[in-house]
Amino acid sequence: MELFLQSIVNSLIQGGFFALWAVGLVLIFGVMGVVNFAHGELVMVGAYTVWLLHAQNDVPFLIAIPVAIIIAMMIGLVMERFLFRPNRTDPLAGLICSIGVLFILQVIAHEVGGTGPAKQVAPPFNQIVEIGESLRIPMQRLFSLGVAIASLGVLWFFLTKTKLGWALRAVALDREASALQGININRISMIAIGVGAAMAGLAGALMAPLQNITPHMGHNVIITAFIVTIVGGVGSLSGAVAAAFIYAAFHTFVTAYFNGTVATICGLLIMVVVLIIKPTGIMGVKVSE
Amino acid sequence: MSIKNLIICIVILAGLVALPHFLAYNFQDLLIFLAVNVLVVVSYRLVTLTGEWSLIHVVMMGVGAYASAMLSKMAGFPFWISMPIAGLTAATIAALLCFPLFRMTQFYFLIGSFAAGEAIRLVWIYFIDPFGGSSGINNLPPPELGDIDFYEPIPYFYMTLIIVTISLFILYRIEKSRVGLTLNAVHWKAPLAESVGVDTWKYRSLALIVGSFFVGIAGALKVHYLGVVTPHQFGIGVMVFVLIWVIVGGYASFVGPIIGVVVLTVFDQGLRASGIVDPAVQPAVYGAVLIASILFMPEGLEGIGKRFFSKSSGENA
Amino acid sequence: MALLEVKNVTKQFGGLTALNDVSFSVEKGEIRGLIGPNGAGKSTMFKNIAGFYTPTKGEVIYDGQNIAGAHPCKVSGMGLVRTFQETTLFDEMSVFENALVGCHMTARSNLFSAIFGSDRQRQKIAAEKTMDVLEFMGLADRKDQLASELPLGSQRALAMAISLNADPKVLLMDEPFAGMNPEETNHMMDLTRKLQDKGITIVLVEHDMKAVMGLCGYLTVLCFGSLLAEGTPEEIRNNEKVIQAYLGGGS
Repeated sequence: MELFLQSIVNSLIQGGFFALWAVGLVLIFGVMGVVNFAHGELVMVGAYTVWLLHAQNDVPFLIAIPVAIIIAMMIGLVMERFLFRPNRTDPLAGLICSIGVLFILQVIAHEVGGTGPAKQVAPPFNQIVEIGESLRIPMQRLFSLGVAIASLGVLWFFLTKTKLGWALRAVALDREASALQGININRISMIAIGVGAAMAGLAGALMAPLQNITPHMGHNVIITAFIVTIVGGVGSLSGAVAAAFIYAAFHTFVTAYFNGTVATICGLLIMVVVLIIKPTGIMGVKVSE
Repeated sequence: MSIKNLIICIVILAGLVALPHFLAYNFQDLLIFLAVNVLVVVSYRLVTLTGEWSLIHVVMMGVGAYASAMLSKMAGFPFWISMPIAGLTAATIAALLCFPLFRMTQFYFLIGSFAAGEAIRLVWIYFIDPFGGSSGINNLPPPELGDIDFYEPIPYFYMTLIIVTISLFILYRIEKSRVGLTLNAVHWKAPLAESVGVDTWKYRSLALIVGSFFVGIAGALKVHYLGVVTPHQFGIGVMVFVLIWVIVGGYASFVGPIIGVVVLTVFDQGLRASGIVDPAVQPAVYGAVLIASILFMPEGLEGIGKRFFSKSSGENA
Repeated sequence: MALLEVKNVTKQFGGLTALNDVSFSVEKGEIRGLIGPNGAGKSTMFKNIAGFYTPTKGEVIYDGQNIAGAHPCKVSGMGLVRTFQETTLFDEMSVFENALVGCHMTARSNLFSAIFGSDRQRQKIAAEKTMDVLEFMGLADRKDQLASELPLGSQRALAMAISLNADPKVLLMDEPFAGMNPEETNHMMDLTRKLQDKGITIVLVEHDMKAVMGLCGYLTVLCFGSLLAEGTPEEIRNNEKVIQAYLGGGS
């Protein structure tokens, strides 16, 4: 019972992270048509920034987070301006470029952090919240969940209630038609990747005190983000968020009661099955023939 | 094949036969891996002929490698039998994967092939019996033939060279045949190909199966020299290197990917030998080369060579 | 017996009925026009025949077999070949290679013969046949050019050469005159007649009324997904219902 309750809480927290990873990937793919393979590395950059600032140089955690967001965002903007924009007509070229970025970021992280064991950040919030008799949740995790949900809420507000958000969604639906309507595609793309990369950087910053930080931590991120994106429906943000929480629950429970590798294998197989049955995803809509 | 090309091929082969005798021991090793990688990229090119970029190719190499390793280690099969079975195993797995994978195209196929490959790799990691988990299977026996010592790099290189040359010849024949023409047609306009009776699903599958067969053989060649097979030899990072070789070399022609893998391997060794760049930084150099080749030479190295030659012949005229 | 027979075909997309119980038949050797105002269901009918759609109800009988729902590559293998509305070619291949793909059904080779060259004779015949077709379409002197480098008229001719090389018994043409100037249209009409002389049955979906009236022996008119009228161009021109439909449809 204790394991069960604990797993429910863990899946919520995992779900928050998964959602932060996936929304960026979905935004970038939706607006620019590019699969950003370096998305996991943006998360890694966020985690490294917190490690470098907070754990190494005693900068307060709450200041390290926005710095991590800004750095990830800057990298995203540079990628869009110099790599994706010149290759707008060729999505494969954009994808390949993002793989190049992936290598470069991993090496930079390696150079910054040096070799040796995985980096760790001591949780800045080390209280334990006790609910009932058996459920004990570290404050750090609750904080992460709260921030993740709040930022997803802000993103939702931005996309549905602001003019810019509307323009962004219009471009994601039909790039050419939007361009004809006078929407500046380049500007919208910068915003999309800026927001997406910021979410990734935030996720990395929040994860930093909770797990080992290595230059290769992005691998797991990108696989999970792919699964969530595909299952939720490519191009559907709400689908991705829903799928993030569902998959997190699935993954946490299979890991808790069985094994983490099996959980990932099952996830990948579910994704392949979804791709076969309905390539646009469970919650996706078929936009055009 | 024209007489001129035939002569070029013979000269290159003769050079390759002589080459290892002028190289230090560790470069002889490298030559074997280079030959294996040439087979990897050329077989990958066959898969991409239909226009689908698969991310499962290196995992298929692993399927062949594991098949050969398990057969020779557990069932005592000689290399000469386990190697062709490695190819057949990879081809069989590829054939099974065609049913789900080729219901998708483009982006979905890319992601689907990636997912299927990762799932296979995780199976190797998870099932310690029989795949050996993360540390894989070691102490693989080398091939045996008369008194030849295949622990030595030079005999192993010659054997690899023969197998790779035969494979390249077959792949070349396929590409230049009507089958290759049809694969190209499927790439450029699948509905039009269908309108004259081409079963596009069948041809896409054929390319994946044949490509997987040869890369499975390449996998067997690689791990029997190393003596060990692990899941990490076939990760997405290795796949990325294959993409880099193919793209930097130029995937529009048969020789492009070969040029890519040879030039980048030499470049890589040059960097290492020069000592300018720390080995840990090498992936970043690769990343930069990849980005630069996409941005500044869309046709790859092969394209640059072609442009150079056509320019010079233009001046002559 | 009719070569191609559409029997009670209904096609629904969700709640929308695009074709409603349409029947007509095409005799061997004729040029049949399938016309109608915008949104009449011409294209939907075309795709149902060519195997791109499966009819919700009804049958498409070709040469005595029901081909409704058969995969396009099967349909074309039986001699029912379609052309495309916009210029559709293998862009980065030469004119000769483009046309060569057309004779897939007779010249395809398997891996064994690809590797060992054991069907060289057959490939030689295929190449000769392809040259004949290119000659017929007036493209022989451009055979080594890239398809994407041809002028529009020649691209359309090449598209026809590809279909023609597939030895069609019935050629389904999707708006072959779209975007053509009068001179090109006339040239295309001549080519179509020459195909008929070769014994090929032609079904064309077309907007260009002048071309259709001049070319077709018999017309089938669709309107709002239903069969409106059938007859010779003369009968159709004077058919009260057709005139109403076109005026009302604004086309």
